[in-house]
Amino acid sequence: MNRTIVPVVVSASVLALAACSTAADPGAGESSGGTTDLAASITQLDGYTDGTSAEAWQSMLDECSDETGVAIERQSLPTSQMMPTILRQASSRSMANLIFVDNPNVQQIAATGALAPLDSLGLSADGYPDGIAAAGSYDGSLYGLAPGVNALALFYNKDILADAGVEPPTTWDELRAAAAELTTGNTYGLSMALLPTEEGTWQFLPFFWGAGAELTDVGSDEAVEALTFVQGLFDDGSVSASALNWNQAEAGDQFTAGQAAMTITGSWSVANFDKAASVDYGIVPIPAADGSAAPVALGGEVGVISQADDAEMAAAAAVLECMTSPEHQTYWAEQHAYIPGQTAVAEEYGAATPTMQAFVDAVASARPRTDDLGEAYPTTSTALIEAVQNALTGQLSPADALNAAASSVSSGQ
Amino acid sequence: MTEPRPAAATRARRVPRRLGSTLIALVILAVLLFPVYWMVNASFFTSAQVLSVDPPLMPWSGTLDGYRQALESQGPNLLTSIAVATGTVVLTLAIAIPAGYALARFRVPGAGIVLFAIMVVQMVPNIVLANSLFDILSSIGLFDTYVALVLADSTLAIPFAIIVLRAFMLGIPGEVIESAQLDGAGYLRTLTRVVAPMSRNAIITAGLFTFLFAWGDFLFGVTLTSGQGLVPVTVGIYQFIGTQVSEWNAILATAVLASIPAAILLVVAQRYIAAGVTGGAMKE
Amino acid sequence: MAVSALSVPRPVAAPALPLLERRRRLAGAAFLAPAALYMIVFFGYPMVHNLVMGSQDYSVSSFYTGDAPFVGFDNYAAIFSDPAFWPTLGRTAMFTVASIVFQFVIGLALAVFFVRRFPLSGVIRALLLLPWLLPLVVSASVWRWIFDQDNGILNIALRGAGVIDEPIGWLNTVAWSLVSVIITNIWIGIPFNLVLLHGGLQAIPGSLYEAAALDGAGPWRQFTHISWPLLKPVTQVTLVLGLVYTLKVFDVIAVMTGGGPASSSQTLTVWSYQLSFNEFLFGQGAAVGNLLIVIALIAGLAYVRSAQQSLRSAS
Repeated sequence: MNRTIVPVVVSASVLALAACSTAADPGAGESSGGTTDLAASITQLDGYTDGTSAEAWQSMLDECSDETGVAIERQSLPTSQMMPTILRQASSRSMANLIFVDNPNVQQIAATGALAPLDSLGLSADGYPDGIAAAGSYDGSLYGLAPGVNALALFYNKDILADAGVEPPTTWDELRAAAAELTTGNTYGLSMALLPTEEGTWQFLPFFWGAGAELTDVGSDEAVEALTFVQGLFDDGSVSASALNWNQAEAGDQFTAGQAAMTITGSWSVANFDKAASVDYGIVPIPAADGSAAPVALGGEVGVISQADDAEMAAAAAVLECMTSPEHQTYWAEQHAYIPGQTAVAEEYGAATPTMQAFVDAVASARPRTDDLGEAYPTTSTALIEAVQNALTGQLSPADALNAAASSVSSGQ
Repeated sequence: MTEPRPAAATRARRVPRRLGSTLIALVILAVLLFPVYWMVNASFFTSAQVLSVDPPLMPWSGTLDGYRQALESQGPNLLTSIAVATGTVVLTLAIAIPAGYALARFRVPGAGIVLFAIMVVQMVPNIVLANSLFDILSSIGLFDTYVALVLADSTLAIPFAIIVLRAFMLGIPGEVIESAQLDGAGYLRTLTRVVAPMSRNAIITAGLFTFLFAWGDFLFGVTLTSGQGLVPVTVGIYQFIGTQVSEWNAILATAVLASIPAAILLVVAQRYIAAGVTGGAMKE
Repeated sequence: MAVSALSVPRPVAAPALPLLERRRRLAGAAFLAPAALYMIVFFGYPMVHNLVMGSQDYSVSSFYTGDAPFVGFDNYAAIFSDPAFWPTLGRTAMFTVASIVFQFVIGLALAVFFVRRFPLSGVIRALLLLPWLLPLVVSASVWRWIFDQDNGILNIALRGAGVIDEPIGWLNTVAWSLVSVIITNIWIGIPFNLVLLHGGLQAIPGSLYEAAALDGAGPWRQFTHISWPLLKPVTQVTLVLGLVYTLKVFDVIAVMTGGGPASSSQTLTVWSYQLSFNEFLFGQGAAVGNLLIVIALIAGLAYVRSAQQSLRSAS
């Protein structure tokens, strides 16, 4: 059981408990009664259903329940069901008190007025990098905080690269040349996941942003440059056409099976790759067009609190504060290979776990997808991945595909 | 040697032909069930092996990890699914048998509209149903209960069951019913003592289909439960599908285990189905 | 309908009907009442809800605030003018027709084959229903691996047999993705067709075939002159239900291709879902859903007409 780690953390947790209740007090209003202001129980909704992460999350919830004295009724759902469920609960006014939702959806939900601003509950984004704070904010108020986040990087198979005498690529030219050279027999140079969903957009964004394109103008020359580059990887045969249909788990399986020399995936994959133990891998940033590290999108789930009576919101805030305490940030990072949200905690974690340093760096500069567009992001995201698919299947040229996307975005507004 | 009687001769000629039929049937079975075999095969492998260039054709060198995981975590969920599916069968038949009888044997005003509605309502997108059912059922405090799942899963089966039962009951000879009524049996008694027993095969068929519909439901299972207490096995399967990892051997092992009760039911019930789903409709 | 007929047994109308007939109608209405009530609550309400939503600007906020401005037919106008509309409608027609035709023909052929008795026929027929027991997400996933371009057993087998030189991108090319999901959907639908049609064939009295055989009719003539015409009511039910169930198919496509690549396997149902839950345009998603209901209305009308004919002839 995961509980075995508890004793190590316990003394710190007790301190955190004290911190929690005092921090929650101002938000709960009245008296000095400490935990008396908190509701006895809250409901919590999360998307961690698979084995290890579900268990790790549960043990964090258990500890926070003990620390705050608030009973937590947990609901966990497959991620595809998260938004439908949240909306359903919103319409029947039965939203979970505390919800951990994928960060690009935070603004959608905040825009409805269903969420409580965290500032008024005594929580703040102090110590978090700007990107994470921005991803959790809407209209100038903070609505979400995360125990951990993630980002994409380039994984490479050390043995295959060494055998071929190829160095990990640091520019687009190197990436394209390396991918082509590493493609032999049953092995592709690179695997990625460009399926027609948000997951596909998220994988394309490092190239999009890496060329200098912006989501506010998906038809720009820079956008065309990015798509043309990715198309080149497909045309060379360096990426399997199946990538148009793979999700990230499948793209990662190609890598662990030795059928892809490199793969683009997020920090969480480290846990799976280590478990599979079939590949000796290294991690480098995804290169941008100019040879620097490409800006990647910020990933991960953010805890938000729904409008309810004061005692319930205070209780949810206390639990959220506990879930995002440094100890739990580190624990979640160790269990789920996420990067701790707060900069100081992340740096400490990076120092203790050097393989993750590339992600610690990536997260520090990662951009929230909703930064420029806010709640309008989903329309653009859908149009963008559609353009990517249209170009990579040869239906349209990159320029035509992106222009079509740009006009569908503008007509949709 | 005595001269063989004609009947025996025919039988003798038929034996090889019938064995030939069995052979052809086995080939058909092999072709159509290949994907099922592939699933069983893959349930013994790791995700990477499932996606490897030369997947093993036989499961001999496989691992039982998937089954271990499936049994550990999905055992209670199998029982939940059995309970929900059984409850759905009971409710569906309780509603559909009288309705099928009314539509087949009574000139009920508006029967045409009801029949029409039965066809059309099956088109409502499931996600729309799920949203509304959540509204209704959670507002009366049934969220996360067996009752909610049974009520919701019945939406999948009631229209279908009414159609099947009505079609069958159309074929019950009118004289049988009339003579029962002449003997003084009320309408309800006629239904329970005469019509229902005569419709046994159709009822078993409708019941079996209902069981399978409820068994395969995922959307209502995930909409109407919290995923913590009451978990149907289809939802349980999703516990192994993350966006970030998919434990395919556990998923497939769960699917294999989940198929077993339904498969047993299928084999047991098959001779009743054979006796006619829509048999009654023949005798127009 | 049935409920109001039950609650208003107007004595004024009584003289027109003999007492027995009146009691008969009441009993019929009472038998129908639970089903009618169930359907009004569990189907009527969602349907009305969806109809209303189709004429609203329904956003994420609407769920919480309940405010959704009425926009008349704007959502429908937006859908019809969307460049994706006609291609999606065409693919939906293709998916539906191809699925139904092949499911039906294969199901019928199997039903005819298995209606004869031979050793193991019952067990083998029962086993053929196995595909039906698998949760859709599982069967769709298995087919996904079978169709995989690089590692799928289908391409491996076809290359081994020398049928193709280069692997076919079953799921990731515009040319093949729709074909692949259709094949999978046919496979899933065969057991359903087999069960219904086999049941229908079984009910045809064997004496008819014997008489025809004495008249010298061969198997084909027996099929066209006896099985096919007598099977008509079952055929109708099977096809109408097949249409309704096929139009609704979502999981299979969602799991196998997600409607891609480049929307090449997207049907109206998948589109409706994507409008709602990827783009959060719930009004437009509902409008597409309503369009599907209209298609079902037409099929339902056709079915009821023929069903009423059989009711008339039965009573």
